[in-house]
Amino acid sequence: MTAAPSLANIVEIAGLTKRFPGMLALDRISVGFRAGEVHAVIGENGAGKSTLMNILAGDLRPDGGKLLVDGREVKLASPLDSRAHGITVVYQELALCPTMSVAENIMMSDMAARSAVSLLPRDMMRREARDALTRLGMGGLDPDTKVGRLSVAEMQLVEIAGAIRQKARVLVLDEPNSALSKRESERLFEVVRQLRAEGVTIIYVSHHLREVLDIADRVTVMRDGRTIVTLDNEGLSEDQLIRAMVGRDLDAALQWSLQVEPRPEDEDAVLKVENLEAEGLEDVSFSVRAGEILGIGGLPDSGKDALGDALFGLCARRGKVTIDGKELRGADPLAAIRLGMSFVPADRRGSGGLLQMSVADNVVSASLARFSLAGFVRRGAVKREARAQVARLDARISHLGQKLGTLSGGNQQKIILGRSLVTNPRVLVLHEPTRGIDVGAKAEIYSILRGIAGEGMAIVMISSEIPELIMNAERVLVLRDGRLSGELTGQAINETAILARAMTS
Amino acid sequence: MADTVRSGARAAAAGRFELSRLLRVREAGVFIALVVICLFLTFATDAFLTSLNLLNIGRQVSLLGIMAVGMTFVLISGEVDLSVGSTYAFSGLVTGMLIIAGCGLLPALAVGLFAGAVIGVINGILSTYGRLPSLIATLGMLSIVRGAALILTNGQPVTVNARNGALPDVLETFSFMGQGYLFSVIPMQLVFFAIIAVLAWLVLSYSNFGFRVYAVGGSAKAARVSGISVNTVKIWAFVLMGLLAAFAGILSLAFLPSGQAGRTGLGLELDVIAATIVGGASLSGGEGTILGTILGVLIIGVMRNGLVLMGVSPFVQELMIGLVIIIAVGIDKWTTRRAT
Repeated sequence: MTAAPSLANIVEIAGLTKRFPGMLALDRISVGFRAGEVHAVIGENGAGKSTLMNILAGDLRPDGGKLLVDGREVKLASPLDSRAHGITVVYQELALCPTMSVAENIMMSDMAARSAVSLLPRDMMRREARDALTRLGMGGLDPDTKVGRLSVAEMQLVEIAGAIRQKARVLVLDEPNSALSKRESERLFEVVRQLRAEGVTIIYVSHHLREVLDIADRVTVMRDGRTIVTLDNEGLSEDQLIRAMVGRDLDAALQWSLQVEPRPEDEDAVLKVENLEAEGLEDVSFSVRAGEILGIGGLPDSGKDALGDALFGLCARRGKVTIDGKELRGADPLAAIRLGMSFVPADRRGSGGLLQMSVADNVVSASLARFSLAGFVRRGAVKREARAQVARLDARISHLGQKLGTLSGGNQQKIILGRSLVTNPRVLVLHEPTRGIDVGAKAEIYSILRGIAGEGMAIVMISSEIPELIMNAERVLVLRDGRLSGELTGQAINETAILARAMTS
Repeated sequence: MADTVRSGARAAAAGRFELSRLLRVREAGVFIALVVICLFLTFATDAFLTSLNLLNIGRQVSLLGIMAVGMTFVLISGEVDLSVGSTYAFSGLVTGMLIIAGCGLLPALAVGLFAGAVIGVINGILSTYGRLPSLIATLGMLSIVRGAALILTNGQPVTVNARNGALPDVLETFSFMGQGYLFSVIPMQLVFFAIIAVLAWLVLSYSNFGFRVYAVGGSAKAARVSGISVNTVKIWAFVLMGLLAAFAGILSLAFLPSGQAGRTGLGLELDVIAATIVGGASLSGGEGTILGTILGVLIIGVMRNGLVLMGVSPFVQELMIGLVIIIAVGIDKWTTRRAT
């Protein structure tokens, strides 16, 4: 907490704490970033990396602790503030103006610093922008091109060029290569090495351990909102990093998984997926039996987030998906519902529930035909069904007419789950079933899921939360780079095993 | 994701290289449409291609054009202003009443323009600091300002002439602004439109403020992190719009020379937005040019004029204008696929 600022540290974080309602996102973390180093920050989902980056970007304000730049304590109240201190965060969601040219984007801060009542020095802008691009080895990019026409990689480099132009001394790259091809990543790495040679500090947030080991001078591992350890990248291995990332007591989780009895192999598969291909997915095959909970794990860009949409037919796909031997053709969610598939998407507030409508309406919204007569909704039947589901799922609501949006996350998710159950599905696909839900509600949802699996439903649970997979799934498939990279069953399902398959190449 | 974007862009580049080069100049599509309509009218009617008629069109579109120039700023900044028809009426009537009351020309103009600017400031503040969507804020202002005009005039027409009390020399200059001709040939309204358009073009294309307007509408986030005050820029765009709507309203009263709060400029905001959109400005912000807006205004003006010359009924004219709006904007959207 009172660590004297090291002179070599350009940015020093001392005992930084950030609380969100119901959770401690950062718990007195301390880490120093030295001038001219590439410093990787790694950790599982929810380890606190994003919160830390948002604080550095000036988007979030810490609740406690100190942030020092050049040994002086600073408050970063806005992105502008943090840029003024020489810190630029390059997010995946880039802060660029797609309708304007490369030169205009690179020079935007320069122009903002001038008077609004002045001529726009177009030639100078073009020249300076070209200089900045040339420094990054991008001299071939026409400064007059509209940014909206560039590839994601080029956009990133344009944003970096803008940051360099603003004399950024600390450049934070947040998952910079998740959208890049191999060649583009290499180009980015060249840029990173060159910037380091010029004395710029690069904070590199990534899930890709191989790349981290390739590029970083030091690696800080975060876990559960704490900085666990900062390691010099000398003789480090992916295994060491994974062990540092996991490190948590798994006994409790293992107890759960041991209680789940693997089912006999000979039971017929309900859902069969053969050679599934879609945006971000390549050649994925698996099957799920009746009564089985199949877990799907992987990093954010592994393809697991595309899997739910692909299975349900929300995006274009190739390959064969069958339910009880009947093939689901094309991208047609309605056909999927008819054949007995139900999907609970990750984005509860966006695509999941009808927040402005009542609990009762939400419960029946996926099976309206059954509750309609000559085009009119049978209110009585709707009420009976909704009441039954609410009781079965133990959802806490004040009355059936309550708007879904006014419920807590856990109760919303229960109602959305209820909506799926009303359709009597054979296969239930869940994407991040407990995201943003408190621990108590999580446990309740898990027990509901185990209950309905016990009644013979096949469940596919796609989740970023490894403990959730360990607790519930009898079998876990791990995806990496759009392909299956491992299958774990029974006692072999543990955090190290899942991470190892998700992260190492 | 990245791959689709890239391959999409590549396919577009390969397949429509020539076309896309042509369309890179955004105004090209609108310009071609205008030329086609003009050619058609030249052969279909005797009266179209005469200097008298062309100058007449120029006069007819001037007031619409002056307002569309303001709307270009507002749309590029990512907002919209529905109150311009009311501002047009209010400012014109205020100026007219002052002149009738024996006020000098400059004070009367100044008060009318000031009223427009104030309306602009209110629109701007409501849409930025007030966090109302500008569609809603200016819809409210549309009614408020129209109501204010009705209260002010008690619903009675305002006619600017000597009999009503206007000073003779004031009346002469005021009438000249709306009805006069430069060198006895060019309508003064067109002269004002031309001057305003050139100034606006210079500001939008060559000034730091113009740059900010594009930046704010293209990505408020990018503008903000670069240190541009998004709210300030938007408020100024609304003020500019208010000033230009007021000026157009004043010219209208000078031309007619009477107005009535219940009728003047009713529904004008939709014509103004239509012309600006036809000219290539985007309702989602970041896109639009003065040249495009001028072309959009001309397309609508030429269409109206041509349909009159061809003896098409006013009812059908209305329908045709609607079709032009849809087709002009449609062609733009269908032929240029933008990677955003």
